[in-house]
Amino acid sequence: MNVLIIPCYIKTDWDKNCLNRLLNSIQNQTKKFDRVYVVDDLSPLSYELPFDFVEHIKLKENGGPAKARNVAIEKALELNAKHLFFTDHDVVLDKNWLYEMSTFLERINFEAVGGMTYAYGKTLLDYYHDINGTLNGKWLLPDKKELWYMPSLNFGMKSEIAREFVFDERFPTAAGEDVDLCLRLRSKYKIGFCPTAKVWHDFGYKNFFSGFKHFVNLFKKYKSSSATVYEGHTVLLWDSSEAIYKGNMYESNL
Amino acid sequence: MSLIYRRKANQSKIMDTVYDYFGEMRPFVKRIDKKWLIPLMVFLKTIEWSIYRWYKTPVRRFYGIKGNELIYMITSRCNERCAKCGIWKNPESDTEHLQIAAFIDCLKTLHHNLYQVTLTGGEPLLFMKDVLLIAEEAAVHKVPMIIVTNGVLVTEDFLKRYAELGHILVFSIDTLEKEKWGNFRGKDTYDKVMSNLQLAHKFLGGKLRIQSVYAEETKNDIPKIKELCKQMNIQHVSQPYMDFGGVWHGVKQIYENKNDNIICAARKNICIYPNGDVVKCFDHYRIPLAKESLGNIEKENIIEILCRKRSTEISKIMKTCNFPCKYLSCNVPEIVYE
Ligand SMILES: C[S@@+](CC[C@H](N)C(=O)[O-])C[C@H]1O[C@@H](n2cnc3c(N)ncnc32)[C@H](O)[C@@H]1O
Ligand code: SF4
Ligand code: SF4
Repeated sequence: MNVLIIPCYIKTDWDKNCLNRLLNSIQNQTKKFDRVYVVDDLSPLSYELPFDFVEHIKLKENGGPAKARNVAIEKALELNAKHLFFTDHDVVLDKNWLYEMSTFLERINFEAVGGMTYAYGKTLLDYYHDINGTLNGKWLLPDKKELWYMPSLNFGMKSEIAREFVFDERFPTAAGEDVDLCLRLRSKYKIGFCPTAKVWHDFGYKNFFSGFKHFVNLFKKYKSSSATVYEGHTVLLWDSSEAIYKGNMYESNL
Repeated sequence: MSLIYRRKANQSKIMDTVYDYFGEMRPFVKRIDKKWLIPLMVFLKTIEWSIYRWYKTPVRRFYGIKGNELIYMITSRCNERCAKCGIWKNPESDTEHLQIAAFIDCLKTLHHNLYQVTLTGGEPLLFMKDVLLIAEEAAVHKVPMIIVTNGVLVTEDFLKRYAELGHILVFSIDTLEKEKWGNFRGKDTYDKVMSNLQLAHKFLGGKLRIQSVYAEETKNDIPKIKELCKQMNIQHVSQPYMDFGGVWHGVKQIYENKNDNIICAARKNICIYPNGDVVKCFDHYRIPLAKESLGNIEKENIIEILCRKRSTEISKIMKTCNFPCKYLSCNVPEIVYE
């Protein structure tokens, strides 16, 4: 059983449109999900989901994306799900995403998997994120056999490990909670990389100039969370890593 | 010579920044396939790099796992004159000695990640008041503490308080023969240490341990020390002789007998010198990139020091580092007492 979990905090019409776009890409998967949870984290904007394959969980309190994902993880584990997958509302999945991710988990001896993330927009800021690998996983150096970390917008894991490792709910926003999970998880298991499992992430830049402030704020947010995470994982953090982009995505030494 | 270390703190701060910047930019530029975009992309990368380096985050919280050992060489001064060791030959001056508050801050910052704090020296008990402050702070944060001592300065009052805090005390003993003792220690402290050992046993019970240095000079003494530990029902550990600036001789076969696939675990360590300089292992002088300290806790936050690019690079090297110092008890994954 393959379950997809999407935490949602919908503030604007743009967010609403993103979510619908994502759900369309889920509907078009060549291999279907057995269950799709959209967990609403008490969004300020109300919205309906015109897709009958979605289970819409509405939380009564805003608890952050870590908490929202954990609520759905618990439900999925009750159903004895085999694989749990995660993405975000501002992402579009390639039609073979589930097929590629689940086949990877079946075939290769890794307990978790990350896929390849491209920027959805076409501005120079999007180009920057693509070559920088801002929202991509990071290879664990020097071997490039496994990942140091994988952001939760393009992530999957076997359910057995979700019984041991869930998201830390003390993270109040969508920044750092996925790094934290990966570092804890890696104390015991390995995260593999599947370059053919593609998603596109929409950073929301209209053009270079109007997007610039958003660009700066994005890294400020990551810095805040990384300072937090760094304090927690000094040993594993000291492992060297390299952000994945299209120029090194096939360098795996598997 | 390991463990003996003198330099002005923070000498290389600007070089650190330059190294860090170019270390980020060089591989990044290679990724830019549209060459005309290089200046703009480097500009954006510089913004990202500057935010990571200088933007002070409003929130600081602590998560994670207890995977680190904080090892504080509280002083290089010593009341003994051991032949195995040269640390006592280079005592720090008063101005070089770190203020205790800076170490306590460091401990407070890191405690969520510490499975142990270890005090060594020189002789830690020369700073008994500070040692107890650290022991109290460690107990508040539930971090187990170990002090390695030559055993001469131990007092009943100290032991009482230390036992209440629940920490571990390690006596360094290399022989039980009074005649050898004077040569080994350079001082006639045999009776004092032996009576302190009994006193410590009375207060600490199983929280007392003995550590010996395995060398040509001691290889026949160690079985007797082990026997004593057995009788006292306390744990014993031997660590191989290394170059601490002493004049003893290592036992060659020791490495041949051991499984040489053993990986040095010193990456877990955060080591602080008497002046507050931070290194990842006290044998860092063997690694060219690690020769200079990473920073000084009197002047900077320990997290910032540990997050430097050079820290990560050094840690990468340490992962496959393979010198005999990997056998020292602070560099093995979990200390094995027998
Ligand atoms: C340097 S001492 C400092 C603490 C205290 N002065 C003492 O002697 O226990 C720390 C530990 O290192 C051990 N040691 C001293 N010289 C050594 C050497 N050359 N090789 C290996 N260990 C050594 C000591 O026996 C002691 O257990
Ligand atoms: S081994 Fe310990 S007691 Fe002996 S000289 Fe060195 S620091 Fe002092
Ligand atoms: S073997 Fe371990 S202790 Fe020795 S220099 Fe290398 S990392 Fe440091």
